[in-house]
Amino acid sequence: MLLKSLDHIFWLGRYLERLDDTARLINATSHLLIDSHKDSQFSWPLLLDVLGQNGAELLSQLPPSDLTVEQQVMSFLITDADSEVSIRSACSALKQNARTVRQLIPRDMWEELNSLDLFLQEHCQQLQGRQHRYRLMTEVSRRCQMVVGVLDGTMLRSDAFDLFNIGRHVERADMTTRIMDVMVLQQLQPTDIKRPRFRWTSILNALGGIESYHYYLAHQNTEVDAVDYLLTYADFPRSIAYCLHRVAASAKALPHSAAILQRVWQLQDLLKTQNLSELTTGQLHQLIDQFQTGIIELHQVISTPKPEFSTDLSQQMSA
Amino acid sequence: MGAKSFGHYQQISQCFDELVQADGQIRPPAAAIARFIDRHGSAELIQRQEQLNQTISAMGVCFTLYSDGNNIDRCWPLDVMPRTIPSSEWQKTSAGLKQRLAALNLFIDDLYHDQRILKDGIVPADLVLDSRNYLAPCKGISPRYGVWANICGTDLVRDGSGKFLVLEDNLRVPSGVSYMLENRTVMKRVFPELFADSFIYPVDDYPHQLWRMLASLSPRPGDVPCIVLLTPGVYNSAYFEHSFLAQQMGVELAENTDLLVQDDIVYLKTLHGLQRVDVIYRRVDDIFIDPQAFRPDSVLGIPGLIKAWAKGNVSIANAPGSGVADDKVIYAYVPEIINYYLGEQPLIDNVPTYLCLDPKQREYVLANLDQLVVKPANESGGYGILIGPRSTKEEQQQMAEAIKANPRNFIAQPTLALSTAPTLCDGVLEPRHLDLRPFILQGRDLYCTTGGLSRVALKKGSLVVNSSQGGGSKDTWIINDEV
Repeated sequence: MLLKSLDHIFWLGRYLERLDDTARLINATSHLLIDSHKDSQFSWPLLLDVLGQNGAELLSQLPPSDLTVEQQVMSFLITDADSEVSIRSACSALKQNARTVRQLIPRDMWEELNSLDLFLQEHCQQLQGRQHRYRLMTEVSRRCQMVVGVLDGTMLRSDAFDLFNIGRHVERADMTTRIMDVMVLQQLQPTDIKRPRFRWTSILNALGGIESYHYYLAHQNTEVDAVDYLLTYADFPRSIAYCLHRVAASAKALPHSAAILQRVWQLQDLLKTQNLSELTTGQLHQLIDQFQTGIIELHQVISTPKPEFSTDLSQQMSA
Repeated sequence: MGAKSFGHYQQISQCFDELVQADGQIRPPAAAIARFIDRHGSAELIQRQEQLNQTISAMGVCFTLYSDGNNIDRCWPLDVMPRTIPSSEWQKTSAGLKQRLAALNLFIDDLYHDQRILKDGIVPADLVLDSRNYLAPCKGISPRYGVWANICGTDLVRDGSGKFLVLEDNLRVPSGVSYMLENRTVMKRVFPELFADSFIYPVDDYPHQLWRMLASLSPRPGDVPCIVLLTPGVYNSAYFEHSFLAQQMGVELAENTDLLVQDDIVYLKTLHGLQRVDVIYRRVDDIFIDPQAFRPDSVLGIPGLIKAWAKGNVSIANAPGSGVADDKVIYAYVPEIINYYLGEQPLIDNVPTYLCLDPKQREYVLANLDQLVVKPANESGGYGILIGPRSTKEEQQQMAEAIKANPRNFIAQPTLALSTAPTLCDGVLEPRHLDLRPFILQGRDLYCTTGGLSRVALKKGSLVVNSSQGGGSKDTWIINDEV
C-alpha cells in the first residue's frame, strides 16, 4: 500500500463511523427530548459545543427564522453542507476519500458507499419533523452498517483493512465520549454531586446497547452504572475499552505499531487509574476532555508512520 | 420501410445499420433483442433504460467534464440497445487490428533505430523527424520485445457498405476500456434473460490480459513483478478509469510524488518503505513523465525516470516516444507501413485520406472544404475538426487559412456515411451514428478485446461521438454465428 493512502483509508474509516455516530447522537438527543419533562431545559448550545463547535456563538448568529431552535440545530447537524459536523459534509468527505483510494476497496463496498451517498442526497435535503428524522437517522446508521458488513465480508486482509478499522474505532471512541459528554453536561448542576442519576436510557438506546447494559448490570459484583459500562466494559462494541482494544489489535502489522500501542496503553491507563465511581460530574467531564486530547494524539501517531523514513525520502527527493 | 420488431424504426438511406438489414429484416445476431421487444413491448424497453440509469448511478460509473474551471462528475451515458456484431466478422477484424499494431510497433522501433523506412523513402523523413511526437532522447533505446505501443485504442467506423475502416490509431494514452467493461456489467444486471438466450462472448478478461501483458514487460522475469498505474491524479478527467483498472488488476495507483528514482532504479513509496518498481502503466503524457528528459521547465514528472528506463531497469507502457505513430499524417501511410514490415496487405483499410502537405492533394482539399472532414494532425477528443457539409462559409474560410499557414498539420477525409444503430431517444428507437474502439495489447503476445467500446452520437444526425461533446455509448455484443 502507498504511504500516501494511509491517511485516506484511515479517514475513510473515521468518516464512515462519524456518519453513523452523528446519526446516533441525533437520535439520542431526540429520545432525550421526548423523555424530558416539558419544564426541563435542554441546552442546545451544549450539544454543539460537544461536537467541537462554539454553540452559543453559532446560535446567536443564526438568521431570524420561523424555525424552532431544535429545527435549526438539526439542520446544522444534518442538512447543512457548510457545517463541518453535519451528516451531509461527513458523507461528502467520505466519498472524496473513497474516490482517492478506490483501488484499495472492494467493488461491492464502492457501490454501497455510492448508494449511501445517493440516499443522503435524496433524503437529507430539508428539515423534517421528529418522527421522520428518527426514521431517517436510523436508516443512515443501518446503511453505514451495510458498508462495514460488505467490507468485512469481501475486503482483502491488508494494511488498508487494518487502517480502515483503526479509523472506525478511533472515531467511535471519540464519538462515544462526546455522546456521553452531552449527557453529563446537560445535567451539570450542581457539579459536586457524586454519580448523579443520569437518564442514560436514551443514549444506550441510540448506541444499541440497552440489552447488553442490563446483562452487564446483572453480572457485576459491585455497584456500577452506565458510565462504567460505556468506558470500561470491553465486551460491548461501542465502549471505549472495546475500541481501544480493537485499535491495538489492528495496529499489530503496521510499521509503526509500537508507537500506536504505546498511545493506546496510555489511554487505557487513563481509564484504569481513575476511580470512576468516585468522580463528580465535573471530574467526569474533565476525564472525557483528557481522553479526547489523547485521541487527537493517537490520531497523529497513526498518520505519521516512521517520521525518519519520511525525512529520508524528502532528502532523496531534493537530491 | 420500418423494421419489423423495432416499431416504426426508419433507417437512414446510404447508411449501414448494425441491427437492421436494408430490406428491413433484423440481422441474425440481433434476433434475441428483436424477440425481446416483440414479447415485452417498447414500454418494457423504456423501463429497462430507467433501471439501467439507476444501476449506473449506484455503481458510480462516471466521467469527469471540465467546465468553467470546475470538474463535474457526470453519470456515464449508456443506451439500452446493444450493438451486435457476428463473431465470424469480428475474428477477421481483430486479426486486422493485431496486424496493424504489430506493424506500427515495428515502425516505431525502426524510427528509433536504423530508420530503414525513411531511408527507403516509404515515409518522408522530415514528416517523422520534424514531428513534435518524435522524441530524440528515445533513440537507440530497446523496450522489451521491441514493442513501444503496448496498449492501442483503434477507432473503427463502417462505410456505407458496412465495411470496417480504421479512422485513427490512439497510441498515447488511449482511454475508454473501463466503460466497455462497466457497460457489460450493467447490461448483465438489466438484461439477464438476453444473456441466457444468446451466445454473447464475454469481455471481462481484459484486466487480466492487461496485467499479463504488463507483467511480460518486467525487467526481472521470474520475480513477482511490481506494477504501478501512474495517474495524473484524482482531478484528471480519466481518473475513474485509472482507479478502476488499478483496482481490477490489483496494482498500486501512483502519482508522480509516490515514485522516486535512485541509482537508476525506480521505487514506490509504500507504507513499509521503498519497493522496487518493474513496470509502469502510465496514463500521463510523454512530456510529463520526466522533467529531466523532455521539459526542463516542468516540475511535473519523476526526475531520472527516462534514464532508468533507457538502462532497462524499468518498463514503461506505452513507451515514451510511441506517440510518433499516433499522428493523422503518419496514419495515411499505415497501409504502406504494414506492407513494408510484414509483406502483407492490410486486413482493414484506412479511410481515404488527403494529405494537405502534398500540393495536389491540398488543392483538392481547399476546393472541396464543404464536402470533406478536415482534422488537425495532433488533436484528440474530436477537437478542432471541420465537418464540411455541416459547416458555415466562415468556418470553411478559417480552415482554409489554417491549412495554408501550416499544411503539415492537416488531413482531410470524405464525409463518411457512418453506420447507425437503433438507439432509444425520447422513448422511440431512432438511428444514431456510432463508431467502435477496440483495445489491442502487445507485449510478449498480441491480444485484442472482444468487441470494444461503441460510442454513439446521441444528437440526431450528429457524427461526433465523444462523451465530452454529447456522445453516449452502447454495449457491444460479439455474437457467436459459427456453431
